[in-house]
Amino acid sequence: MTRQRPFFVQFLVPAVLVAVIFAAAMFNVLKYSFLEFVPGSLNVGGFTLENFTRINRPIYYWVLLDTFILSFATAFFALLLSYPISFALVRAERNWVRSVLVVLAITPLFTGEIVRTYSWMLVLGSDGVVNTALKSLGIIDRSVPIMYTRVGVVIALVQFAMPVMIILLATAISQINRDCEKAAANLGATPNTVFWWVTIPLTLPGILSGFVVVFAWTMSAFSTPQLIGGGKVLMISNVVYLQGFSSFNLPFAAVLSLVALVAALGSLALMKLLTARLEQNMATS
Amino acid sequence: MMHQKMTAITALEHSVEIKAVSKTFGSFHAVNNVSLPIRTGEFVTLLGPSGCGKTTLLNMVAGFIDPSAGAIHIGGVDVTDVPVHLRDTGMVFQSYALFPHMNVFDNVAFGLRQRKFSKSEVTHKVMQTIEMMKLSGMEGRRISQLSGGQQQRVALARAIAIQPKVLLLDEPLSALDKSLRAQMQVELIEMHRNTGLTTIFVTHDQGEALSLSDRIVVMNRGQIQQVAEPIDLYRNPANGFVASFIGEINALPAAIYQASDREISLAIGNIRMTAPRRAEWQFGQGEMVQAFVRPEHIRIATSADAGCNVVTGEVLTHIYQGSHTITRLRVDGLGPIEMRLPGGDVVGRVPVGMPTQIAFDLSQVILLADKSS
Repeated sequence: MTRQRPFFVQFLVPAVLVAVIFAAAMFNVLKYSFLEFVPGSLNVGGFTLENFTRINRPIYYWVLLDTFILSFATAFFALLLSYPISFALVRAERNWVRSVLVVLAITPLFTGEIVRTYSWMLVLGSDGVVNTALKSLGIIDRSVPIMYTRVGVVIALVQFAMPVMIILLATAISQINRDCEKAAANLGATPNTVFWWVTIPLTLPGILSGFVVVFAWTMSAFSTPQLIGGGKVLMISNVVYLQGFSSFNLPFAAVLSLVALVAALGSLALMKLLTARLEQNMATS
Repeated sequence: MMHQKMTAITALEHSVEIKAVSKTFGSFHAVNNVSLPIRTGEFVTLLGPSGCGKTTLLNMVAGFIDPSAGAIHIGGVDVTDVPVHLRDTGMVFQSYALFPHMNVFDNVAFGLRQRKFSKSEVTHKVMQTIEMMKLSGMEGRRISQLSGGQQQRVALARAIAIQPKVLLLDEPLSALDKSLRAQMQVELIEMHRNTGLTTIFVTHDQGEALSLSDRIVVMNRGQIQQVAEPIDLYRNPANGFVASFIGEINALPAAIYQASDREISLAIGNIRMTAPRRAEWQFGQGEMVQAFVRPEHIRIATSADAGCNVVTGEVLTHIYQGSHTITRLRVDGLGPIEMRLPGGDVVGRVPVGMPTQIAFDLSQVILLADKSS
């Protein structure tokens, strides 16, 4: 058996290559975070811990908190909007309904992030589709600011995250034993009770993993908050960009990157702990 | 408990009535004009091969499938258009369909909570059911911590806790291994005796049907073939399908050679056999029939048979089963014949390839008109 192992080693080569390059990059980020920033120069000085003390300022806490809140809101609203679509996608009786839903849900994945973000700028702008529609309906007199606000950023991020959320939820919904729902109905549960007390709990692992994936993904969002936030909504990636490529303070950008990474990994670990407990309980022999 | 329950509903003779029900899927007739009244407290089995319509019929009683035609009455009320959750049936699924996110107690309590019983009533009824199903001490267990047999008992407990008007069992034993299945059969019989619930049981296993049922409904191709008590069904199958589906049987094409008041003699190929006459046989001389003989009614001939109903066969194989042996023989003019003898002596006495005299006991032969001719 061990004789056969070397055969599989060749399949590891691409993964190992990527891992090595990635590790080298990460190591460099780590290294930069301990090096002195020389103002007006791209070169860095000697060893220092000053970069880490510099982060202890309210503005960076606010950015981190903001990033958390925006990611959480994005995951939450993406979940809320995706669940009904996933449910219809799995349960629709007619094949063509399912096909149409799949196409509508998945095609956004194939348009680039920049294209999608610019489209949202057209929709959300002060002369955009939303404001024009609201004005012509007489609901508002003057344009409501959506561009350059948190609401605008979350709207675009939610739409960006929905295809992935829909796929994850649809997988979870398609895997539940429908006899459980039938059993609940048979025992006297109304369709509403069946949904909230059986369907939702049975799809909870999918709900949690969808939430975690979107949350982590949004934590590193860059171009959407950059373009729709227009500098008024800052997420951690935007601050890293500002420090690294506007102030050319690469060491401090490295520290911020590390903080973002640790925060993301920490929240992922926390959620993973939660889901692992749940999945253990839900597993049927 | 059982006594109270019985007196409460004695007024109703039939707790379930299936009236001329049909179900078509496209051009496929899954269930074709089935009528079946089920008496209160009765254990009725729907038996048939897969695709015979038995599960579709059960699902129509539960309300999961709407009939294309006909009506279903439960407890004297037409429920054909009543949604599942208002029908008051208790179903046990083949997959058990237990709620994996709830423990045993909450699973059993689910139906009671939908019925808005008080907390103490729910606890009382759940504990009573759990005790009856021998699950005491497991209330707090997760479903994933239970064995297959225990899961089966929880599924049953959950369905009977609500004391439904009818208990529906959809092949509940098919997922269990053989020894557990035999044990669960006994527990099903006890459960039925204790609760007195009207029960409809669906299976493709004729052994289960024979051992559990008050009455068996044999179905094939969406239609009822015969409704009878187990012993009656085994002894007097109504047609060739029932005869060959229930138990093992040798089907022999025969012609009525002579019929008197006391005896009927048959020509099977070039062999003549005589059977005691049954009152219900109305065959005329020369009519073509199918003669069905159970393997246990064939034995090795002795001198006492005096050549009556004796033929010569050649042993093809012995299938030793411990308590008995199935022996397949080739008889010229009859084709392959199965004989069932107790024990395993026959294996040594009549080796494979050896010609031997076998005697047919035709006192319980089944004769059915041969429709193909």
